Amino acid sequence: MTAPRPQLGSVVRVLLRRTIETYRDSPQAVGWLQHNLDRFDEPLRVAIAGKVKAGKSTLLNALVGEEIAPTDAGECTRIVTWYQDAQVPKVTMFPRGAAPRQLTIHREQGALSFDLQGMPVEQVDKLEVDWPSQSLRTQTLIDTPGIASLSKDTSARAGAFLAPDDSPSQADAVIYLMRHLHATDVHFLESFYDQGVARATPINTIAVLSRADEIGVGRLDALSSARRIARRYRADDKIRGLCQTVVAVAGLLAETGRTMRQHEFTALSALAGLPRADLDSMLLSVDRFSRTELERPTTPGLDSETRARLMERFGLFGVRLSTTLIRQGMTDPTTIATELVRRSGLDELRGVLSTQFSERRDLLKARSALLAVDLVLSREPRPSAAPLTQEVERILAGAHEFAELRLLSTIRSGVVKLAPETLEEAERLLGGDGGSAAARLSLEPGVGPDQLRAAALEAVTRWQRRAESPMSSRAVSDVARLVVRSCEGVLADLS
Amino acid sequence: MGVPAAIDLVDLALKATTAYQRPDLGGRLQQTRKRLADPNVRVLVVGEFKQGKSQLVNALVNAPICPVDDDISTAVPTIVRHAETTTVTLVRDRGEGSPPERMTVAANQLAQYVSEAGNPGNRSLLTYAEVGLPRKLLAGGLVLVDTPGVGGLGSAHGAATMSALPSADAVLLVSDAAQEYTGPELEFLGAALKLCPNVACVLTKTDLYPHWRRIMELDRGHLGDAGVRSEIFPVSSMLRLHAAQTQDEKLMDESGFRELVNFLLNRVVARADDLDRRSTSQDVLAVCEQLAAGMRAELTAQENPERIEALVSELTRAKSRADDLKQRSSRWQITLNDGVGDLQSDIDYDLRDRLRNIGREAEQLLDDGDPAVIWDQFAEWFHQQVSSAASANFVWAAERARYLAGQVAEHFAEGADVALPQLRFDQSDSMAGKVNALEQPESEAEGIGGRLLTGMRGGYGGMLMIGMASTLAGLALLNPFSIGAGVLFGAKTVRDERKRELARRRSEAKVAVRKHVDEVTFQVGKDSRDMLRRTQRDLRDHFSGLAEEVSTSLAGSVAAAQSAVKATTSERQTRIRDLKAELARIDGVAQRARALLGDAPSQLSAVPAGADPIASRKGL
Repeated sequence: MTAPRPQLGSVVRVLLRRTIETYRDSPQAVGWLQHNLDRFDEPLRVAIAGKVKAGKSTLLNALVGEEIAPTDAGECTRIVTWYQDAQVPKVTMFPRGAAPRQLTIHREQGALSFDLQGMPVEQVDKLEVDWPSQSLRTQTLIDTPGIASLSKDTSARAGAFLAPDDSPSQADAVIYLMRHLHATDVHFLESFYDQGVARATPINTIAVLSRADEIGVGRLDALSSARRIARRYRADDKIRGLCQTVVAVAGLLAETGRTMRQHEFTALSALAGLPRADLDSMLLSVDRFSRTELERPTTPGLDSETRARLMERFGLFGVRLSTTLIRQGMTDPTTIATELVRRSGLDELRGVLSTQFSERRDLLKARSALLAVDLVLSREPRPSAAPLTQEVERILAGAHEFAELRLLSTIRSGVVKLAPETLEEAERLLGGDGGSAAARLSLEPGVGPDQLRAAALEAVTRWQRRAESPMSSRAVSDVARLVVRSCEGVLADLS
Repeated sequence: MGVPAAIDLVDLALKATTAYQRPDLGGRLQQTRKRLADPNVRVLVVGEFKQGKSQLVNALVNAPICPVDDDISTAVPTIVRHAETTTVTLVRDRGEGSPPERMTVAANQLAQYVSEAGNPGNRSLLTYAEVGLPRKLLAGGLVLVDTPGVGGLGSAHGAATMSALPSADAVLLVSDAAQEYTGPELEFLGAALKLCPNVACVLTKTDLYPHWRRIMELDRGHLGDAGVRSEIFPVSSMLRLHAAQTQDEKLMDESGFRELVNFLLNRVVARADDLDRRSTSQDVLAVCEQLAAGMRAELTAQENPERIEALVSELTRAKSRADDLKQRSSRWQITLNDGVGDLQSDIDYDLRDRLRNIGREAEQLLDDGDPAVIWDQFAEWFHQQVSSAASANFVWAAERARYLAGQVAEHFAEGADVALPQLRFDQSDSMAGKVNALEQPESEAEGIGGRLLTGMRGGYGGMLMIGMASTLAGLALLNPFSIGAGVLFGAKTVRDERKRELARRRSEAKVAVRKHVDEVTFQVGKDSRDMLRRTQRDLRDHFSGLAEEVSTSLAGSVAAAQSAVKATTSERQTRIRDLKAELARIDGVAQRARALLGDAPSQLSAVPAGADPIASRKGL
């Protein structure tokens, strides 16, 4: 594999243009394909899906670092809302069967609220929020209404889920949020999450154990407990077959950490300055915290209203954690905020998003585009399109990236019989932990090319032997051959 | 509820039946006594996973008995009841015929046996664990049952919990304050209300969620929309445990547990107590009437010798009508036999119909996809469907059986009214009252549900639980495919070969589905038939016994009236005096029975909050 491989992205782009050419006379097809071609250059679209009250909007705010998605104690998000980067803030409503309409932007204490101008929720197709934000530059985030009830028309959704193969969807990748669920139910309930806009497959899905601070009922060690549970889910074969990985995130903590304000820090510091016993007794319950009458009038800025607002923003766990951190000597608001974000698990999630989604952006985009082309070809078959059909199949079967993805999901589904550590290595070499050479070879990110080359050569030899060994079953040989090809790819990129 | 006064009264009445040589009446009183001796008031704690059910039980009894963890959850039902010392017993049922196996373990080892971590999926096949605790709260007979989480109606656990409901005195539906009720929770609540009318909702973890009041309002709204009038108790188990540790009264108030405990004592325990009084009182009154009937007839004859013949002929007619009640052709018998027959076929049809529809849909799904790919999701979906069909069928069967019992009781009462025109009991409504009161023990008797779960008497319900849970979970074990690697690799195999393979997999999957449907139909169908047969037998025995008693009493009355003819005037006067004295004695017993009823609070809500029912009972 010394010849430079053509980039998958450009191959698919060429294919899209050729298809547009072929279907020039069909405005519908052209519109659809053009839309997909444009999409190719847009940021990756990541949908946030999950059940009602899983904390989708909160997580979105945490990822953006601003309180732009409205959140509430009751069910809140009822319309699919797109958040994308733009120069000027703007909110556009897309009513069903009517022209888009621009909405005025209300902002209250940092949080946005949308006024639908009397339009019933059911008649709104989607909202588009343009917002200048660094975090939205690389990805467009899509907030979705919660999957309301699991019991209703389960069978219908079952049918949709079990329906053959992928169809093109509007999102390139999905973050699926779940609150704690019993292991036996997880794989069933969570797998039926067809949402139209966010059709999920193991390739482009990351599961998030959300509201992680609440799993440990707000104890200080709640998050390590949540991480342990996430680890268990990750090791569960069935869940591995449904998503790339499972990460525990305390959404509220992350959101607040990224948007913490000076006066909040002042209030927290004042709290931390109270006698230990007083604070502990206040922190027994949210009601106590908000309502306790403080005896000392000498603690300014700690009236019960302020405390109630602190509770809203931090949660019991957040207040416990930040006051503990301040007591331990962190006196700088930035340090505290960073620490809160670090502990919330958001960094881990962003890391995973970057390896699983951003690095694979082209691949995921190409996949979406190929599905779009495939849809046109199968809906409007015509003789002149025959070579295009072959081309789609050739790309799908031939592109090593797709082969890698397929093999990854096969390995995760547990049908290949190999020692666990061998499988782990195979996954890593196939790019399961990230597509960079260092990640594949499990080396530190900064190592030099010589070291990388040596490691890659060594891996090639090892897996070559496995592929050719007469002792290996056919399935194992197939796996080994693909792994060898991935290693050769790494070598080719190095030279 | 063991009401001491009630037990004394029954003992007294028992003595009377011996003294007046009516051992046939003693049988019923023995039954009553046995029922009173079982003081348990079962409260089932149910809810979805991770809502804090075990912690709620722990907080109620203030002891870390049920294992609580962020991750693992309860796998085996745990029954917490009163005992002099702390004891933990594991119970494993060994099927029909043999007594359940019981093992005593140390209290701190319980977690190993009942938690998902120590006993995943209840691998050690325990039926339940029983914990005895010396707690004042439990002393009144309150029994708390911590159940495994219900994954909605459609899980095997959900179906099993459902089957335990009819025998429960109350149900606490636990949901945490993180979010409002979900669809499955409301659905479960709706079904539960049909089986056990005394359901209260508990909102847990109020210490953690600032918006718990909002959530409670939303929940109230949901309950209102669903037409459910259950109360909601917001509580914090953490605060109660902490308050108990620090003896902090204010914190205890904040925990919200006072209201919940009041509810349990005044509305659940007191209600069961009230029912006990009422049925005991009715039973004793009925026995008194039967005892008095003969004497009263003789008294009438002695006082009016000229009317003896008319009296005798009337009594004889009454007796023959009472005898009619014993005949298979009597109306209540026909109602019962026809009703059970109809019910059996209806319920069987219902089950088959539900399962057949699921089977069809399943085959359609299998035809639409590749079983090798979708099997896991499919099996889960299929389980859910089958479990919820079995649950729905069970709920319906229990409802109909209860209705039938009411019908039979009504028809019997009509017959008895006709048969006893002159010997009406002194309260004109007492016959109806008696039948109503009898209904309760009857519906208890068909209280099909988790006898085994509560470990009380064994029988159908528990069988259903175990049978159902294992039957319903059967399909996952059947994975009919050996997945060829080629299929998943997307490698280009020869097209025809692939098609043939797919067809083979589909037909294998369908065979597995059909086999499973068959198995479930067989098992669940047998359980329903057993339940109905038991109901039929219980109702028949009960009412036949009643008819027999009435008939015997009337026979005694006829004999007494006839014997009165021969007596001389002076003898007659003595006899009249004696009879009046005897009647007064019996009336004394009857008075006590009535007093027992009168003591019971007629309006349950009128019980002052905080009143200790144990203390008030001692005043009897």
